[in-house]
Amino acid sequence: MTCPRLEYRSSDEEHTFDHERPYCTVMNEFVSPMRADVCNDRFEFSHDADCEVYRSMVESSTAIEADDD
Amino acid sequence: MSYQEYVDGKKVILTVATTGGVHGKDANPNLPEQPDEIAEQVRECEELGAAIVHVHGRDEHGENNARRLQEVNDAIRDRCDDIIIQNTTGGQSTMEERIEGIRTDPTPEMASLDMGPFNRGQHIITEHNRHNIELLAREMKEQGIKPELEVFNNGHLNEVYRLIETGLLEEPYYINIIFGSGTFSIPSPENVMNMVRNLPENSEFNLLATGRHQLPLTTLSPILGGHVRVGMEDNLYYRRGEPVRSNAQLVERSAAIIDRLDADLATPDDAREMLGMR
Repeated sequence: MTCPRLEYRSSDEEHTFDHERPYCTVMNEFVSPMRADVCNDRFEFSHDADCEVYRSMVESSTAIEADDD
Repeated sequence: MSYQEYVDGKKVILTVATTGGVHGKDANPNLPEQPDEIAEQVRECEELGAAIVHVHGRDEHGENNARRLQEVNDAIRDRCDDIIIQNTTGGQSTMEERIEGIRTDPTPEMASLDMGPFNRGQHIITEHNRHNIELLAREMKEQGIKPELEVFNNGHLNEVYRLIETGLLEEPYYINIIFGSGTFSIPSPENVMNMVRNLPENSEFNLLATGRHQLPLTTLSPILGGHVRVGMEDNLYYRRGEPVRSNAQLVERSAAIIDRLDADLATPDDAREMLGMR
């Protein structure tokens, strides 16, 4: 399953492209080609296991929920 | 493979790595990704003296896709005269993908062959185990494709010796010694010289250094009897704070340095002869 925080955009505040590129809505920046393989769960990668950005976001969310308890 | 060879007028093979698999246009908009723009930059680099082009394929989003190598190869052949095509078999994809680099039609004259894994991010290790390395080496030998052995760190040099023992390589062994951050060899002149001292007999070496280290360490290589790889795969800046305008800008500078060192650039035919490709 593709990372739910991955989008394809052709621009952000700094860049404009004539094509859509992979964009991480956690980092708020375009992602490198190698990281995009992880975002898309290509080959044997899995974003929830192999992406430190996604993992840290989930851990932060879990910590916030725990604080709310 | 020595200073004496440099003094005696050994020619220098200049390789350009235009694209790679690591950076995108978000890092430098001048990085060529699509077949036509890659081929256009390769043509400029060939005119400036590059004898070999190291090739990666990207999809329409700029993401890695080894199945685009055929289109890139075709575009380069359309625009260039005689530059040697060296397709990648590296990266972090599966063997099924990576082997596409040696299954284009026609097959490339050369291909890269990573001598072991390296780390990416916090969780990624590339899948370059001995089984896969030997599988690629065997097919390259059968197809008459010259491997460039990618030595990311000095432990990988042990793997070169091991691969030589299998009989899957032919002399001269063409070894790309790599310096940079992460899993790569620590970039310093001392480490370059130590690596060169430890190379197998009957080998030729190429030198790749990333980022800030590209200019000084590739300048050292010809003096030690080695060859040079530059390009935007390895370095996105011309000088500190100034992004590269094109691969040609880096190739032009290296060609000028080699000329100032009173050495000659190898033509593609010279390179074929030096590397035992014909």
